[in-house]
Amino acid sequence: MRILEKTDREAWRRAHELGPQKTIELLKERGLTGRGGACFLTGLKWEITRNTPADEKILICNADEGEPGTFKDKLILEENSETLIEGILIAAYCINAKHAYIYLRGEYHYLREKLKQTIKQLLKDVVSDLNIEIVEGAGSYICGDETAIISSIQNKRGYPHFKPPYPPSHGLFSKPTVINNVETLTNVPLAIIHEDWSDEFRLFSISGDVLKPGVHEFKIGTSLGQIAALVQAKNAKAVYFGASGGLIPFVPNFKVSQDHVCKEEAMLGACSLIFVSKNRSVLDLAINIAQFFTHESCGKCTPCREGNVHTLKLLEKIKEKKATEKDLLLLEKLSKMIRDTSLCGLGQSCTNHILTAMKHFPDDFR
Amino acid sequence: MSSETKKDILINILKDIQRNYGYLPEEKIRKLSKKLDIPVTDIYSTATFYSMLNAEKKGKNIVRICNSPSCYLKGSLDILKETKKILNIDVGEITKGGKFSLELTSCIGCCDKAPAIMINEELTTDVTKGMLKKLLK
Repeated sequence: MRILEKTDREAWRRAHELGPQKTIELLKERGLTGRGGACFLTGLKWEITRNTPADEKILICNADEGEPGTFKDKLILEENSETLIEGILIAAYCINAKHAYIYLRGEYHYLREKLKQTIKQLLKDVVSDLNIEIVEGAGSYICGDETAIISSIQNKRGYPHFKPPYPPSHGLFSKPTVINNVETLTNVPLAIIHEDWSDEFRLFSISGDVLKPGVHEFKIGTSLGQIAALVQAKNAKAVYFGASGGLIPFVPNFKVSQDHVCKEEAMLGACSLIFVSKNRSVLDLAINIAQFFTHESCGKCTPCREGNVHTLKLLEKIKEKKATEKDLLLLEKLSKMIRDTSLCGLGQSCTNHILTAMKHFPDDFR
Repeated sequence: MSSETKKDILINILKDIQRNYGYLPEEKIRKLSKKLDIPVTDIYSTATFYSMLNAEKKGKNIVRICNSPSCYLKGSLDILKETKKILNIDVGEITKGGKFSLELTSCIGCCDKAPAIMINEELTTDVTKGMLKKLLK
């Protein structure tokens, strides 16, 4: 896996030779996009931040992967934190930040000490005075949202905020802020030094009903059948994209890409594939995922806070065989209403799993 | 870094207090409030938002069983059932004598080694029912 390659600070040296503007241009040319799911051009994000007039700029590394089924950033933090820190140093250099935060999910507490050692070593190696501070999350799914991370670091409840303004112009402590996740920042040094680096390769976290779960690197467009063969997913019925991305039925020649997944009204997100085998009822999974969203809704806006409680109740009613045709229609209507009227990405995506499951597996809801 | 942006990170401090006391005792919050010049109510507002921060006393050891889809597919509910049996408590309760609290948790990032549980800040993966007795001693 290229993502685990060490660069021996070569990318840092190269970035210094080029200077910030040309390094940004190079990353734009290479086509590096954010790995959090939004696929925004990383170089462009940096450029906006760099060009926003302010006395101070800030960098945040989002190491709070909390999407169910996602564990790829953990692999990087465990096995290649030095390339990640090199990416952080380059990003801070390019946007002219003197301070960077790593928002590390609380569950990854055991990685903190090692990360601190790597930071110390890298700062020494490259003679940088960048101040890198680790902030540990404390169990909140919504803090993976960039505006919620900002609230959390500012000592508030981890509430998301309406955008615009976007963090590159108005972020942490109202300063222009770049927020990139672990996989994106680790790709920065690799994209700088390798001419054949391609944005098409992604880390996939694969779990569920498979014999060989784990993190794999696949080219975007790889078929579900190829992936299933590698991880030994037998008798697959459906594939979930995390909890928020919804599901698609398992079709071996389905090419996994943002566009193809989107056409099925699901979302590829951070490439977390949870395989579900034929002996499962997606209704049971729907109840499990609805419990998750009911618990993780931050409570700020009504559609998500109240809506999730009621979708869960309706799903349980269906499970108890007490639901009427009207209840099924209500579930669909409510799911769409939550999607269309919630404030943040969590609320807007938390019923994808219900809508896609009802569309593709209506019999499981009877 | 300017004074405008250089701030103590509340969440880090609260976690340190919790590591010492198992939860966030009121007197410590009051002291912290004076030290950081943040109202007590604001500290509680932040603390109660996060599921890993405990404003109230819990068991000396907190057992969190992951019930996210990947762990669910690998039998997290069986692990929960067995844990309840061994500890003789339900989710949200504390054992007699206060040694353990039991909670369900959202994804803890161990989906490739499911089912997984977390005891305090330590992760245990590929958990089987047979392993629980030793883990919950």
